[in-house]
Amino acid sequence: MITASILITGMLAAASAALLGTFLVLRGSAMLSDAISHSIVFGIILVWLVTRQLSGPIPVIGAALAGVLTVVLTQWIAQSRLVRMDAAIGLVFPALFAAGVLLISLYARQVHIHVDTILLGEIGFVWLNTRPIAGFEVPVSTLTLGLVLLANLLFVAAFWHRLKLAVFDPALAAALGLFPTALYYALMTLTSITAVAAFDAVGAILFIAFVIVPPATAYLLTQRVWLMTLLAVALGALACPVGYALAVFWDVSIAGMMATMTGVWFALALLFSPRQGLLVQALQRRQETLRHDCRVMLAHLLSHQGTRRMPQENTRAALVGHLSWPESHADRVIEHAIGQDLVEQRGALLILRPAGEAAARDLFARR
Amino acid sequence: MGANLEQVTTHEPGLALHVEDLTVTYGQAPVLWDIDVDVPPGVMAAVIGPNGAGKSTLLKSVLGLLRPVAGHVRFFGRPVKEMRRQIAYAPQRHSVDWDFPTTAVDVVEMGLYGEIGWFRRPGRDHRARAMAALNEVEMADLAHRQISELSGGQQQRVFIARSLVQDAPLMILDEPTAGVDITTEGIILDLLKRLRDRGKTLIVVHHDLTNVEAHFDWLIMVNVQVVAQGPLKSVFTEDNLRATYGRRLTP
Amino acid sequence: MSLLAELLGSRVVQLVVIGAALLGAISGVLGSFAVLRQQSLLGDTLSHAALPGVCLGFLIAGDRHLGLLLAGALVTGGLAAGTVLVITRCTRLKTDAALGIALSVYFAIGTVLLTVIQSRGDAGAAGLSTFLFGQAAAITRGDIQLMAVAGVLIAAVVLLLWKEFKLVTFDPESARAAGLPVMALQSALTLIVAVAVVVGLQLVGVILMVAMLIAPAAAARQWVGSLAGMVVLAGCLGALAGGSGALISATGRGLATGPVVVLLISAIVLVSLALAPGRGVIWRWRARRRLSRTLTRESRSSADLRRRHVPVRGLKR
Repeated sequence: MITASILITGMLAAASAALLGTFLVLRGSAMLSDAISHSIVFGIILVWLVTRQLSGPIPVIGAALAGVLTVVLTQWIAQSRLVRMDAAIGLVFPALFAAGVLLISLYARQVHIHVDTILLGEIGFVWLNTRPIAGFEVPVSTLTLGLVLLANLLFVAAFWHRLKLAVFDPALAAALGLFPTALYYALMTLTSITAVAAFDAVGAILFIAFVIVPPATAYLLTQRVWLMTLLAVALGALACPVGYALAVFWDVSIAGMMATMTGVWFALALLFSPRQGLLVQALQRRQETLRHDCRVMLAHLLSHQGTRRMPQENTRAALVGHLSWPESHADRVIEHAIGQDLVEQRGALLILRPAGEAAARDLFARR
Repeated sequence: MGANLEQVTTHEPGLALHVEDLTVTYGQAPVLWDIDVDVPPGVMAAVIGPNGAGKSTLLKSVLGLLRPVAGHVRFFGRPVKEMRRQIAYAPQRHSVDWDFPTTAVDVVEMGLYGEIGWFRRPGRDHRARAMAALNEVEMADLAHRQISELSGGQQQRVFIARSLVQDAPLMILDEPTAGVDITTEGIILDLLKRLRDRGKTLIVVHHDLTNVEAHFDWLIMVNVQVVAQGPLKSVFTEDNLRATYGRRLTP
Repeated sequence: MSLLAELLGSRVVQLVVIGAALLGAISGVLGSFAVLRQQSLLGDTLSHAALPGVCLGFLIAGDRHLGLLLAGALVTGGLAAGTVLVITRCTRLKTDAALGIALSVYFAIGTVLLTVIQSRGDAGAAGLSTFLFGQAAAITRGDIQLMAVAGVLIAAVVLLLWKEFKLVTFDPESARAAGLPVMALQSALTLIVAVAVVVGLQLVGVILMVAMLIAPAAAARQWVGSLAGMVVLAGCLGALAGGSGALISATGRGLATGPVVVLLISAIVLVSLALAPGRGVIWRWRARRRLSRTLTRESRSSADLRRRHVPVRGLKR
């Protein structure tokens, strides 16, 4: 039961975060999640100072408002055009965070607000705070996250097309009366609420991993937004059981391991993605070079075909000597050409096949 | 052409720019394909073609800023690495952050950083040369203005002054009249012609077909491949234009 | 006044003030380049990515051996910067996503390593707090010496390579065309930012280090129009905020140095954004008011003229 609740809580947090994170990444506002996560500390302490409450809906709302305040202030500063957007982000959230930490150390030392816990969470202890529901003891954070996931799902589903447009073409969205700005702030508010809900389980800093990394991984795998969202949620959710298992095996931080797994998925996609992966890119370059040099060779062979110098020129040795190709490269090009039935090897001579001859003539015609 | 293939290491010192077999791809899509370009010295050459057809890519690949899949480039017979001081490059205006804290004359002076060695500072004569270059583009009175306060045309002229100050025999300019009003465009193009008359070679990516004939004497028409090149009078024909701007040419 | 004298007399306070001022100066100078290159948040990523390095250093050294911890932080910080570079160059992902990925994943790995340390019974938990928020009070003379040496080295590098850094920051394309080794220079700049981050982590901690890099530079930009001026002013503002922040925090309990310094420098930024001549918000508002007043005056006087003269042709009155 304990394991199940830990896993479920983690997966709920990952899914909620990934739903919103897809649009944040597409919009280029990924680092705002970083800003929001840090400034909720400010929100929590402020709420506590006013209401002396640490749990329940009020701190959630207060912290969420702090997140929105961060975004509003950041936008305001960036709009003045005196400072770029990324600098604006890095000005606002540390100031709010500093204010929060200061207030805590001044007025709330004796209270059980450990900033460490807020920032790192402790998903293993999620079991300690439960409510009875339908005869079962359910952890509070699981409940909260469940509600948050529902809210995020409803939001994304209801505003799906507008969100897509607002992300890709805010000017058009505004012209069509679709209120991209309002949508943007709604997105940010939900992100703040999700951050607060998640901090209990995975902490604010690891929440950022769930918001950014699975959607970025999905971005490397597909161009279609609906598929990207789906993959992001799936990858985030998958990181939880795998991370949990490894964390238990090695006796390390569960939340940390879950977040690390999102990084592992990303690394795998970065290397092996069929569209954008590094491996694929390297292979493509090699292919291009090979194809191009093949054409060079065909032109060379054609220009000496039937001439006196053919026995010397239409050989592998000539390619190495006259075109200054390394031997291994010459071999690869010849192999590629033979494989494509453009050329055949008779002893030391390279003879153009009909297809190869046609291709070579075509090259000359174009010039 | 075929017979010359063995002379892949040909130097062609008589040509300001000699490009052979240049191919640049983006992923699997070809941006430039088997480009051969020859530009004689002392001309003012325009590189024209539809958007996204590889004009800027051509300039950048030739200067070594992009890595081609294949290709062979020579400036006055030598590779680009040996000729940096002989080539002045002005990139597109938007490639620079115009909010940078600096003045117009300072930007022009930066054009000389290549010749001032490591660890040394620009001296008074460098500043004087920068002012002289600004004078040529008629911006001397705005020398100490912040570049963020300059208009688009003025920024463009600062860029040109920066390539001017290097006093290089070859100038390569990427859309020097983009986003600029007619008067300023005229000033810039007249200045470039004066430079050509002084013996410099200019290669300019140009976007405005209506005034190509009036100002340029050499043309390179690019649409992924080179459609035509040579003296403007003979190359600037309707057939060639249609071939260049008709549709994207894929190999 | 006597309070001030009393404070300054304390050895600990002296160290913290000097250390904070040094840090402010260094981060002000380096932050100028980071901000102009639009890599403000790289400092955030580097700070967070330092955690696994610090943990590794701890695991290897077995005890709080400062040099090894800092070296570890520098290594993982460098790796993180490299990761960001690879992601932005080789994929369609943009800088913000790349920074976020490196930040969160490296930090996550760091938390995992931290629990490894904790399970060995070492003082890991306290370590994290120090790492997150800095622990100015624990600063030693050795730390100050290290910071001073780092500061001098950084200043020397920046001075020697001044025009190269300037050109690479302003126009990397032309720099490359001019034959400058742009990659190497940009990496060098990132490296020294990483050094500044590592040096400052002890004092202000991970989260606030971002502000130390960005705020002095952002403030200085509003007042001066040259790179040299901006760098010098940023260094001075940083040192000012650092030193006075440390002093103020010494006056009371519960006033941690890091937050106080950050709040001070943030206030300086706000003031600069508002008041700077020619750019500041207040200046612009006043200029707009002046303009609208002039326009109203002009339109009123032209309306006046219209009333006195013959009505415009074609209009029936």
